[in-house]
Amino acid sequence: MSQPSLHVESLTVSHGAVTALRDVTFTARSGEITALIGTNGAGKSSLLRAIIGLASSKGDIFFQGDNINHLATEDRIRAGLALVPEGRRVFPGMTVEENLLVGGIRGRAERRLSIDEVYALFPPLADRPSDRAWQLSGGQQQMLAIGRALMARPRIFLLDEPSLGLSPRIARDVAESLKALTEKGAAVVIAEQNSGFVQPIADRTLTLSNGQMALPD
Amino acid sequence: MPFPLGAAYALVALGFVLVLNATTAVNFAHGESVVAGGFTAVALTFFLPPDLRIPGLILLPGVVVVTAVLGLAIGALAYLPIRNRPPVSVFVTTIAVGMIVANGLNATFGAAPRTAPPLIGVGTIDLIGVSISRQSLVIIATACVLIGGLAIVLQRTQLGRQFRACSQDPEMARAIGIRLTRITLLSFALGTAFAGAAGLLLAHQFFISPADGAPLILKAYIAVVIGGWGSLRGAALGALLIAVFEVGVAAISSQPLAEGLLYVIVLVVLFLRPQGLLGEPQQVRA
Repeated sequence: MSQPSLHVESLTVSHGAVTALRDVTFTARSGEITALIGTNGAGKSSLLRAIIGLASSKGDIFFQGDNINHLATEDRIRAGLALVPEGRRVFPGMTVEENLLVGGIRGRAERRLSIDEVYALFPPLADRPSDRAWQLSGGQQQMLAIGRALMARPRIFLLDEPSLGLSPRIARDVAESLKALTEKGAAVVIAEQNSGFVQPIADRTLTLSNGQMALPD
Repeated sequence: MPFPLGAAYALVALGFVLVLNATTAVNFAHGESVVAGGFTAVALTFFLPPDLRIPGLILLPGVVVVTAVLGLAIGALAYLPIRNRPPVSVFVTTIAVGMIVANGLNATFGAAPRTAPPLIGVGTIDLIGVSISRQSLVIIATACVLIGGLAIVLQRTQLGRQFRACSQDPEMARAIGIRLTRITLLSFALGTAFAGAAGLLLAHQFFISPADGAPLILKAYIAVVIGGWGSLRGAALGALLIAVFEVGVAAISSQPLAEGLLYVIVLVVLFLRPQGLLGEPQQVRA
């Protein structure tokens, strides 16, 4: 069995008086895709946002054995986590190349190397480096969002609804690219409503319902 | 000649937009930052040997450093502690900082207009048959160098890309590892340094007094509205248009009429093109 990369222990997330996530525990391993399935409002986005540090939470988050509760979002990214959020959220007024470069958190040479790898993984982006992100199709924007996260050379990917709005063919391409990432040793966590997208590629599937894990890890 | 005034206004407006884009809040202390730059030049003059006739332009690095530190203080004290509150809170705190700066300058230097040393000698030079004052040329050239430098930083460097990412989606910028607080403080420092540089450029030819902050922030605000809210190129264009309009109308009528008509123009632009001359409606696809 591969090494645990991310372990979440008894995580609770509240938005004011509303509890979005209650006492959730799960583990994601290197070289595996972990699917979190749940309907709209099940708490998937809250879970990913809490792991990355964008939502405050109670409980413990361990990354490669270290507790990262105390780390700010920026430091969690530097430690090796990356989030591809729901709705892609590329920087619309910046070009494809600028969106990728700004995702690189290391030196210039490594940014150049990373961008070549992203272009190799997503050839449609290599054809349009100077186009503004808002001019891309939904599928290309999703590739750009994943590529931007890749630029930080993360060891764990958190993806929120990556298939949303994609045609079946583009969704299949994205799924294959995620599988390719795990073959390089990354751990991938995908939060999805669309079980048809994740089940063919997931190594493990967990279900979130009303903010709780229906099938404990 | 409207271009020196336009060049200085452009620096003020660009500094204003830098902070606006980083925070989505209006820094109402920006006008007083221009005044602080002018008075920093006046204060630094005391350290220059009076008989050496050193050009005032040599004061620029000192003015930029002092006003950048002022910008850091405004960001750290008047913005960061309340950044999660409604924008009106930032209006109030920056207005308060502006009042503190204006009254501090008044108490230190007095209310009378002051002048900094000439930027680079006095007199005129002949350029393609046209006589132009050295001061005007230096003001325009200095503003062009600073604006060009800013454009290179924003377009060609990782720091510039981080500035732009934070202005477009601050939360997402954090989620890709950008240190938002650092970029916010740098925006205040850079924006206020631009205001300070404008203060130095204005201080010899146009004089400067502690009460000048309010009209200057209004000019910056109008330049940004005319040019396009949040657009750096629009801010520079808007500033130039304001100066051309002010100087042109004042030359054939009076300064008060020019000022009054300027606000009529603002209303017309807002009515006909609410997004400003270079502003674009939100571009969204898929």
